[in-house]
Amino acid sequence: MSEGLATVAILMPAYEERAALGPTLASLREAARGALDVTVFVVDDGSEPALAIDHDLPRPGFAIVVARHAINLGQGAALETARNLALAGARFDAYVTMDADGQHGADDALALATRVLGGADVVFGDRFGGGSNVPTLRALVLRAARIFEWAATGLFLADAHNGLRAFSRRALERIPIQQNGMAHATEIRQRVARAGLAVVEAPVSVRYSDATLAKGQRTSGAIGILQDLALQYLFGEPGR
Amino acid sequence: MTIAAALLLGLVFGLLVHDWVTVRGKNRRVLWVETTVFVIGAFFIAFPERATGLAHMVGIQRGVDFLLYPIVIWLVRETLLTRRRHLEDRERMTQLTRALAVLEARAVVPRGVDAGAADAARGG
Repeated sequence: MSEGLATVAILMPAYEERAALGPTLASLREAARGALDVTVFVVDDGSEPALAIDHDLPRPGFAIVVARHAINLGQGAALETARNLALAGARFDAYVTMDADGQHGADDALALATRVLGGADVVFGDRFGGGSNVPTLRALVLRAARIFEWAATGLFLADAHNGLRAFSRRALERIPIQQNGMAHATEIRQRVARAGLAVVEAPVSVRYSDATLAKGQRTSGAIGILQDLALQYLFGEPGR
Repeated sequence: MTIAAALLLGLVFGLLVHDWVTVRGKNRRVLWVETTVFVIGAFFIAFPERATGLAHMVGIQRGVDFLLYPIVIWLVRETLLTRRRHLEDRERMTQLTRALAVLEARAVVPRGVDAGAADAARGG
């Protein structure tokens, strides 16, 4: 690690992100250069073949740790594996969850980390405050989801299900993720609320492209999320 | 016998033949259970008045209700138990997959750099 710099762990699930992963990592490296000591925990969620990472990317102050699920489990499961890895080794000053598909900006990710370095426990990105090009239908669903999230978690936030978040260590330790699929975003907020952690929101820019819209979370996926949450409520371990 | 009863009996018989023919060289005990249940079902299809008689004995109006109530209760219970078992299996699979991933996690090291030294440098 680089002496004197604050340390940041980036938790990055990745599935079949062959084209986007390299540029995403490179942008993080450039954004952090000389300002933060960054370690990215990439969890390849069963891509076939396994995702390859350019060995020229790491440098002093920018490390990459790769783990691979033997089978595809879902983004929530990959995030939980990254969380386990990030909490197991060296202590970091801030922890950020970030997508690998290029939707999230490296500058935004590190800005959220900086809010944690300033004393915040939980920082959620707000895509509606940062000039994102959110498709109309997606925006409508996300607006409606705010109401559901409020009912489910008690947190009324500007943006439901934004994958760009930052945590202090004490916060991250208190939010194990049980949901393997996309319902993990609601689960994280439920755990944050239950733990009584203070939440702040920060504007971020989420960039949608044809590629990310084709591969990413579908608007119709909201039904699957509701089903997963219902099953967790019915069959999950109470209090977890 | 009505056309519907004949068709249902044909379906039951066809399914039984299919299952006995296709499940070869395996444990066939479950087929005997299936056959027993199907024969009882076929009896009530062929002689619905017998089901109605049994229903009246226990205070139910129609024979079909006499059969339907316990079947629906059993199906709902079986669905819930199956769903729970599925989630438990998925949880085990997730934990196993995660344990392997964590065990085999490695730092990406620049070409020409010793991997052990890189791990030590990041505190791993």
